[in-house]
Order: sequence, then structure tokens, then C-alpha cells
Amino acid sequence: MRDIIEPPPEPGAPLPPLWKRLLWFVGLAVLGTLATAAVAYVLKALLPPH
Amino acid sequence: MDALLLSRLQFAFTIAFHIIFPSFTIGLASYLAVLEGLWLITRNAAFKTLYLFWLKVFAISFGMGVVTGVVMSYELGSNWSAFSAAAAPVIGPLLAFEVLTAFFMEASFLGIMLFGWKKVGPGLHFVATCLVAVGTLISAFWIVSANSWMQHPTGFGHTTSGGLIATDWWAVIFSPTFPTRFAHMVLAAYLTTALVVGAASAWRLLRDSEEPEARIALRMAIGMLAIVAPLQLVAGDLSGKLLDRVQPAKLAAIEGFWETKARQDFHIVAWPDRAIAANRWELSVPGVGSLITTGQVDAVVKGLRDFKPQDRPPAFLVFWAFRVMVGLGVAMIGLGAWGVWLIARNRLDGARLFQMACIAMGPAGFVSVICGWIVAEVGRQPYVIYGVLRTADAVSPVGAGQVSASLLGFLTVYAIIFSVGVLYILRLIAEGPAAGADEPAPPIQRAPGSALAAAPGDAP
Repeated sequence: MRDIIEPPPEPGAPLPPLWKRLLWFVGLAVLGTLATAAVAYVLKALLPPH
Repeated sequence: MDALLLSRLQFAFTIAFHIIFPSFTIGLASYLAVLEGLWLITRNAAFKTLYLFWLKVFAISFGMGVVTGVVMSYELGSNWSAFSAAAAPVIGPLLAFEVLTAFFMEASFLGIMLFGWKKVGPGLHFVATCLVAVGTLISAFWIVSANSWMQHPTGFGHTTSGGLIATDWWAVIFSPTFPTRFAHMVLAAYLTTALVVGAASAWRLLRDSEEPEARIALRMAIGMLAIVAPLQLVAGDLSGKLLDRVQPAKLAAIEGFWETKARQDFHIVAWPDRAIAANRWELSVPGVGSLITTGQVDAVVKGLRDFKPQDRPPAFLVFWAFRVMVGLGVAMIGLGAWGVWLIARNRLDGARLFQMACIAMGPAGFVSVICGWIVAEVGRQPYVIYGVLRTADAVSPVGAGQVSASLLGFLTVYAIIFSVGVLYILRLIAEGPAAGADEPAPPIQRAPGSALAAAPGDAP
């Protein structure tokens, strides 16, 4: 777990440009949503059909 | 045992396990947002260390909350299909909104919290943490809304086929008991988190009274306890005072009232017994029961004998669950006041007795939350939707053998998952926030050609 969680950038370390940070923000959020949706559809598929 | 009782036991077991995790993560998400905000403002490394430490605990608790929560959705279909068939048009959208507006939000931005700090930068990472915290509160909003409707259903009608249908969504979502119950639940979650953080910090301080992270976290926990515990007493009182109007049988069970009368006695402790429709024994303060439950000394408060025997909730369990919850709540207020007094006298860090009390009170929030839900759910019996659908009519047409098998499965699987998860969390807490918080040490520079030049940096 210690290695998976990303710590904050070091003080004074240069940040990536804003567009790249926003892209990561949106990308990770969408990835999280898609992962949740995929699990939801798998669970739904386990339900017997009507 | 029949399928009804087994299904009730199964749902009680799974929901009691489940509620432990959301009641912790709701508070913990807000705590993480505060820690990160304080780190951004002050750049004090202790806040960052605490954040990274509690983020690990949050991630594990969140995952366990999801796993134990999904199970209950299935149970609504497998064990409570008659309830689902009748109430799905009203309850279904509330639970769907919870998934769409809260769970997806939490799950999406949790990824950024865990994996994206360097990628998105401190500002956007803080936004993600705040969104997860808001998501947990939205989740609580929809779940408590659905449950409040089941406690006091409003804004619905009956279809020709005997089902229920919403006629006024605002009335469904904001049923009269919802605001105080929502406040009561959120405050309970904050208290639960404060007690766990307080216990973990006290544990660390008993070993090292100078650890900066533990000193800060214990002070934050005491501040939260000192403010929120008295507020919780007020929220609980407001919630309870509505019962006289909306669920008088539950109120009578909570207070051990059997006769309808003015100036009810307040029973501090008693032995309510449904078999004899009375308290076997009681220790009471005469004449103040009506005042405490309704706010009026002369108010006539209904007793359980006013209800048919088949309409009375199990009084003993409700009565004692309520007293355990309130007793622990009072202890939380005391702990908060004691901590503030020690801080004011600058004696907190060496106060070993107080630190041991904090450790002892660590699980009190979980116990209180479970007792509170026992009061809410068992007190609503024999109805699953109060006054509308009896629990006995809500169960699926399944056999006792089938439910026994699944109950046994749940007991086994949960015992394993819960034990592993909790042991891991406790191990993390025992290690403390400072463990592994620092970046790996750079390799030791040795002169080329020296005897140890080829040895690993951490060699003795």
C-alpha cells in the first residue's frame, strides 16, 4: 500500500503544465468511473434474467 | 427457525457489519480534506504525514464498505423480494441516486487521491479529496432519506396491483424525520472517526509522547469530540421528540412505557418484558418521562399496551440499545471535556490515564452507531415500511434451509474478510503515521575501492 499511494510532489519541484494536470485529473476520474461501471455491469450480469 | 426470522437475522448481521465502514469513512473523508487543506495552508509536514497515513486506512475501509454494501442489494432481491416488488417504485430511485450521484463520485475521485498527487498537482488533488468527502455525505443523504421514508412514509399512493408509487417526490425524499436523522447520522460518523483517530493517536503517545503527528491528531480529535458530541445530544433529542407524533410505539419501547398517561416516569434502567406487558423491575425518576420525551411535563405519552400485542416492537432490545447508545454518547461528551481541560492546562501529552481512556473509547462510536440503528430498525417492527407493509409480508417465498445456508456462508466469509481487514487496519494504526512516511534514504556514498563500496546501503 505504501508504494501504491502517490505522495505529494517535493517542495519546489516543478509541476507539469496546467493542461497536462487537468488531463490527468479528468483521465483518472473517468477511469475510476469506468472501472466502477464495469464492476456494476459484471454484478448485474450475475443476476438471473426476468 | 423460519425463513422470516432467518432472513431478519441475515439482514441484521450484514447491515451491522456494513454500517461500521461507512460510518467511519464519512468522517474520515472529511478529516482527510481538513488535513490536506491544513497542509496546503501551513506546509507543516505533519499534516501531510497524517494525510498519507489515514488515506491508507480510508482506502481499505472504503473497499470493505463497498463489498459489504453490495451484498445487501442482493439480499433485497433474494430475501425481501415481496418488499422490493411493492416498494421498488419509491425506494429504488433513491438507492439508484445514491449510486449515481455519490458512489460514482467517490469511486472516481478516490483514484486521484491514491494515484494522482504528482500528476495533477496539490490544488487539483485537494479538489479530488473534497469531492470524495462531499460524495460520502451525498451517499449518507440518500440512504438516510430512503430509511426515513421507511420509518415515516409520505408522498406515496397505492397502485391497483397493491404496489406503492410515489405521488410527491419531495415528500418522499424529505419525509418529516429526515432532517434530524440525517444530522444525527453525519454527526455520529464524525464522532466515530474522532474516537478512532483519538485512540490511534493516544496509542502512539503512550509509546512516544513527543511524536508530533500523534500530538496534532489527538488535539484535533479532542476538538471534534468537544464540539460534535454535545451537538449530537441535541440532534438525537430533536430526532427523538418527533417519535411521539410519528412512531409512538417505538417511543414507548425506547422508554419502557406500558401505560398511556401524563407525567410518565423516566426509567433509567428497567427490564421490559413483552410476555407480561410490563417492566419486571425498574429504577425510575418519577414524573419526568413526559418532559424528556416530549418537552412538556403534562403531556400524555402512549404506552405499549395501547397497541395490539402483534403491533408492539421488541421492547427489551430497543430499550437497552437506546441506553447503551446514550450512555456512550454521554461518555464521549465527558471525554471531550476532559481533553479540553487537559489542553487548557497544557497537560495533555503526559496524561496517561486520559490516553488510556481514549484507547478504551476507540470502538465506542461503532458500538453507538450499531445500537442507534438497532433502535431505529427494531423499534420500527413489526413493520418494514411503518404502518404500510409488515415485515412478515415483505419476506421472499424461500425455505428456511436456503436462508440458513446463505446465512452460514455470510457468517464464514464475513468472519474471514472482517478479521483480515480489521487486523490489517489495526497493524497500520499500531505502526503509526511516521512509519514509512519518509522517502527512502539515499544510498550511502562510500569511497570507490573501499572495502564496503559494493555493500548495500542498509547493510550493518
